[in-house]
Amino acid sequence: MGLLDTETGKRRLLSVEVPAIEAYNEGRDPDYRITVNRNGGILVLSYRLKPCHNVYRLETRLLSSYPVVPPETRVITPLKHCPHLLEGQSVCMWRQGSTRATSRWDPTQFTCVFAVLAAWRWLACYEVWHETGEWPLPEAK
Amino acid sequence: MDFRPLAEAERRQLLTALRGNADRGVALLLDRRDTSFTGTADELPDEQVLTAVKSVPSHY
Repeated sequence: MGLLDTETGKRRLLSVEVPAIEAYNEGRDPDYRITVNRNGGILVLSYRLKPCHNVYRLETRLLSSYPVVPPETRVITPLKHCPHLLEGQSVCMWRQGSTRATSRWDPTQFTCVFAVLAAWRWLACYEVWHETGEWPLPEAK
Repeated sequence: MDFRPLAEAERRQLLTALRGNADRGVALLLDRRDTSFTGTADELPDEQVLTAVKSVPSHY
């Protein structure tokens, strides 16, 4: 399903993703709202998160194969190298082959805003790791 | 970015919250305006579903 070039994809975008983004942005300071831009067949969500004292800039990309393929999120703000940080400062959030249901992206249940909230939790873990050297949540199984 | 570290008490509170979220599904509450961490809740009102971290799937 192409998010931008099929009827099913457009319906998903207009009935699920856009309303979720609008609800997320409601009442939020302008600096912390999600903005959406199109880059070819990809939608790019740009936003800031501030789990504690530090503000981070991020991008979440919805590929044309989204929502079957999970969204990809990377932190634009430079980070120290840490666990669960991949090339290009992409953050490792889902493992589709995992035996644990909560480790897998489920397109029937989750929207792009869930990726934003997962990134928030990842950054909260990063802030703890920065001080202790230990990632505070268990590894995937 | 000039990284500002967590104070000891802040770190303990956040660590407890993250583990409560992972182990028991405790919701992590975020400030509506700027997404900063404000605390936890066992029950999440519907209107906060999009402003809190509860059953967010992820494997880390």
